Amino acid sequence: MADLRTNLAGIESPNPFWLASAPPTNSGYQVQRAFEAGWGGAVWKTLGDPILNVSSRFAAVSFNGQRVAGFNNIELITDRPLEVNLQEIYETKKRFPNHTVVASLMVEPQQEKWHEIVKRVEEVGVDGLELNFGCPHGMAERGMGSASGQVPELVEKQTYWVKEAAQTPVIVKLTPNITDITATAEAAARGGADAISMINTINSLAGVDLDSWNTIPHVGGKGAHGGYCGPAVKPIALNMVGECARSPRINVPISGMGGVSNWQNAVEFMLMGASNVQVCTAAMHHGFRIVEDMIDGLNNYLDEKGIASVQDIIGKSVPKYSDWGNLDLNYKIVARINNDVCINCNKCHIACEDTSHQCIDMLKDDQGNSYLEVREEDCVGCNLCSIVCPVDGAIDMVEVESEHPPMTWNDRQAAIGSLQNPSADPIK
Amino acid sequence: MSDYKEYLSEREQIDLMFEKGYFIKNVQENLSGAIVTFEKNGSETETLHIKTADARKYFSNLLLATSKRLIL
Repeated sequence: MADLRTNLAGIESPNPFWLASAPPTNSGYQVQRAFEAGWGGAVWKTLGDPILNVSSRFAAVSFNGQRVAGFNNIELITDRPLEVNLQEIYETKKRFPNHTVVASLMVEPQQEKWHEIVKRVEEVGVDGLELNFGCPHGMAERGMGSASGQVPELVEKQTYWVKEAAQTPVIVKLTPNITDITATAEAAARGGADAISMINTINSLAGVDLDSWNTIPHVGGKGAHGGYCGPAVKPIALNMVGECARSPRINVPISGMGGVSNWQNAVEFMLMGASNVQVCTAAMHHGFRIVEDMIDGLNNYLDEKGIASVQDIIGKSVPKYSDWGNLDLNYKIVARINNDVCINCNKCHIACEDTSHQCIDMLKDDQGNSYLEVREEDCVGCNLCSIVCPVDGAIDMVEVESEHPPMTWNDRQAAIGSLQNPSADPIK
Repeated sequence: MSDYKEYLSEREQIDLMFEKGYFIKNVQENLSGAIVTFEKNGSETETLHIKTADARKYFSNLLLATSKRLIL
């Protein structure tokens, strides 16, 4: 049995699976049920001045039969008085002292407001604080959430104010609704954040009803943008985690979230630099007990790899993530079709012929049977044929040995530049 | 002509330049590809217009190999 304990900036947890701040962590009843199911931690639904919500709050995008490929919500932060939440946090920590409870916080960008809520929340024994600079709807219109999180100066200043009062580790949760998330991640680090977490939800509109022309969801015939999450956002989140993890200017641990739905996703986030993961949509879709499969799967994976502790995988893929200019232009793969597996559906041929590089020929053998063959010299290794192929093992992407050593775009441009600048030209 | 055949043709022209003792003197890249200027004996120059992506990679590899050899 591998050691699944994690440590995020001093916040210890029995396993890396936390519930993210969201509807599943709205109350002590829910969080305690989650802990009974096996979740290692929970970030309590954001505390602040209790809000008023609308009815009709969630919508999901289904794709080709997959329910909840993406999830959209227009629910705001907690609508319960702070005292009620604090009492339940206290009771939860008392009952589950070894599980992690982090309080998500959101107040107006004023020093005294941050000081007040930090002190009151820490009094009941939370393990850490997460500053919600990410919620993109409702609260942002009031200057909070992503409205704060999109301005690096506000991220830095508010983090600094929190750190003035905080005794527990401070996690800054970042919005993806920004061109370069490393800018706000750096600002959080400059403000003294002990850790960052990402991503919050992405501005979204789930759909429009073709009959009523109402937005989905709508509130009495009127809609507003919400926050998008779930499996569809995972690639966006994974990149943002990776970008922050590889930045030399961001030296704080990361709590990763955004579409984490199973143990495999969790491993991906941790390999890309996350010290743990937070989950919401998958729990809302399938219930708290999905964590059992997550724990079992992660444990089995580590055991099979001979890895003693989950902490040993954190960031292992980060050195493999770089800029395009550092990729090897001489690395080459080509498609090879296994005709004994191929069902001759011709999807690869159509995809290649219509939208890629026209290198898959439809041929006939001596008996008149159809088969497909790749002209490898024309194949650019785009992967499209293997992506659209419905049969596992019918198309392999095979590495072809290069006659040249690795050459990156940056290498190439430096060599060409040296020709045009004789003083730096090594061959003259 | 397929891209591959065009590449082979351009590669042949590049190889020919090197066989004749030319080396790459200058590369100008523009919307039409790369204009590669070769030089021999400090004065004789020849120019190739290289269009295909693979051939532009090819002369870049040769340029890089040459510069590395000279550094060593």
